[in-house]
Amino acid sequence: MNELINMSLLSDWRTFSITLLLGVLVLFLARSHAHSAITGFFRLIASVLRLAAKASESTREQLKARNREVLLEQGQQHVSQELEREFYEVSRFVQRDLGGYPAIQRQIHEEITRIHDDYEKSGEVITALPEWVEAVESVAKIKSSEHAANLNNKVLEQIHKSAEQQHKEQLQLARQTAADRHKRLKGMTEYWRKLTDSVDDVGGRLKDIITRSENIDRHMKKYTDITAGTDEAVRALRASSITQFLIALIVVVIALGGAYFNFHLIALPMSEMVGSTDRIGGVKVSDLAAMVIICIEVTAGIFLLESLRITKLFPMIGSMDDKFRRIIMVCAGSVLLILASTESALAFMRDQIAGDLASLRASLSGGSIEATHSPISEWIPLAANMILGFVLPLALTMIAIPLEYLLQTGRTVCGSLMEILLSGITMVFRILSSTTRQTGKLLISLYDFVIAAPLWLEAMIMKTRHNKDQDFSATQSYSSARVKS
Amino acid sequence: MKKCILLFRSLLQRSLSPIVVGVLLLPVLSSCGSGEGSPSHARGVYLLLDTSGTYTQELKKAQQLINYMLAMLESGDTFAVARIDSGSFSEKDIVAKVVLDSRPSMANKQKREFAATIEQFVKSVQSSAYTDISGGLLQGIEFLNEADVGRKTIMIYSDLKEELPKGYVRKFDLPLDGFTVQALNVTKLRADNQNPQIYLDRVEHWKTKINTGGGTWQVVNDLDKPEAILL
Repeated sequence: MNELINMSLLSDWRTFSITLLLGVLVLFLARSHAHSAITGFFRLIASVLRLAAKASESTREQLKARNREVLLEQGQQHVSQELEREFYEVSRFVQRDLGGYPAIQRQIHEEITRIHDDYEKSGEVITALPEWVEAVESVAKIKSSEHAANLNNKVLEQIHKSAEQQHKEQLQLARQTAADRHKRLKGMTEYWRKLTDSVDDVGGRLKDIITRSENIDRHMKKYTDITAGTDEAVRALRASSITQFLIALIVVVIALGGAYFNFHLIALPMSEMVGSTDRIGGVKVSDLAAMVIICIEVTAGIFLLESLRITKLFPMIGSMDDKFRRIIMVCAGSVLLILASTESALAFMRDQIAGDLASLRASLSGGSIEATHSPISEWIPLAANMILGFVLPLALTMIAIPLEYLLQTGRTVCGSLMEILLSGITMVFRILSSTTRQTGKLLISLYDFVIAAPLWLEAMIMKTRHNKDQDFSATQSYSSARVKS
Repeated sequence: MKKCILLFRSLLQRSLSPIVVGVLLLPVLSSCGSGEGSPSHARGVYLLLDTSGTYTQELKKAQQLINYMLAMLESGDTFAVARIDSGSFSEKDIVAKVVLDSRPSMANKQKREFAATIEQFVKSVQSSAYTDISGGLLQGIEFLNEADVGRKTIMIYSDLKEELPKGYVRKFDLPLDGFTVQALNVTKLRADNQNPQIYLDRVEHWKTKINTGGGTWQVVNDLDKPEAILL
């Protein structure tokens, strides 16, 4: 190796110096062309990168606009549904509650008439003036004599008696009338109460409709904002969709955990049914069969919820006639129940297979079967397995709801992520473009640094020549001035 | 009615189409997964038990090992136990063999029967005068090749000292490509204790022979750790 170095041109410092000088000279002579080449090359790369950045930015803008459109459209649909529901509730309220308003009105009128009648009755005059007052006056006008006095006394006594009797009768009548009035007034209380209740009932129902109308106002404002496409509405919708996406994602992950557990519950007994030796794509057929059963359960659950109009993954089902919808509902529900029952039976079988395997292992290891018997009742895990086998498929049907949310909001979230990604790409392109441009300048500086010595000489020569030129022109101007003078 | 037709069309387009695609792809996947050209996932184990001389005393331990392996093997796996005697290149030396059924319950039943056969064999075994390990190995290779299994393992439960009767020739290369050969419980003989080099040479001889044939060689002497046996 050393020999090679010794033999090389570089080992000889004279040759090296000459080569270096020649190289520097060549570089100096090709300086302007080299500068042009370097500048052109790096400018080309920089412009390509800048173009890529612009394209990326343009794509991002398009995506942003599209995302905004989709978000507003989804928001509009959502608010429309909310409004539809509120109007439906209001309509139902009007039909159900306000439909009975004429009956309430009639009832109130009847109550008021009754109260009025009672009031009229309670205001009746009971007695007229006593008739014996005129008789007393006539007796008083008779001339006074003994016989007259006796007669008067007798008449007066008679009148007194009659007056007392009449007084008693009148008093009794007055008492009776007062009692009757009190009774009627007491009866009016009940009518008043009924009237108050009727009015309160109407008021309560009207409060509900007021709340509904406030909700409608709020939704309408939201709807107007969305239709106008305000930034505030877009921000609110985006925040809402991200939150919903995360919640739906968590629920779907939990549901997947349930599906995984369900799979393990039925995979072993499925191997008893379809065998466990054959494989498709490296996966056991029994495992595939278990997965297929779970997928069918989930599909049946989705159809059930669709037919119940809880989800809208297949709008066609929701918009079908009630008759067909009911058929789908019954079919999906039946499939679910059958599969749930099957899974329960499979869970039972699993327990038996596991027990058989445990006893085999015990016998192979030399222990007796009795020795493996634990004090814990075998029925508890068996029952738990069977209940889980039945409940899990039914619980898995609910996956349709978070799945729908996940799909709906996934578009927005993915779009937002793509926007961020494109922003990042644009930034990287811009940085690279700028770096490339600066690298070109750096290379030119380095080039000039290599040929610094000739450049310095050139500058010196140029300076000297410049000075000479200046001196010459000064001399010439001086001579011409002298000639002129 | 029209709506119904539209619904079914929609279902076919949206939801059933992946299932249809799956059904169409099923034969392709099936041919990929379980065709003749595809590798089998089943395991094949051929255990050779040395019944010569004093080694018969070790057979009780071998029975435990067999039981452990029975517990580990799954549906579709092949397992055979053969004795090494004076001339082991024979189907008659296979004590028990089984291809475990695809149904777990039947596989368990087969395992029980297998274990009972082995127990009976261990009780009634008589020691042989010679030890034909090479013949047993060749028999094992033939058996596992016929079984068409994915992973082939031959276990030799022996002290690895081969003694052939007069007139028996075992000078051939073993076609062990794709095989794993495990020597289990290679006991040290009295001569080994006197000169350990004899033991080392014996093990090395078999290692060379197996590796030359294209197989993988392993020695597992500590049977208290059955997990060391790589199935």
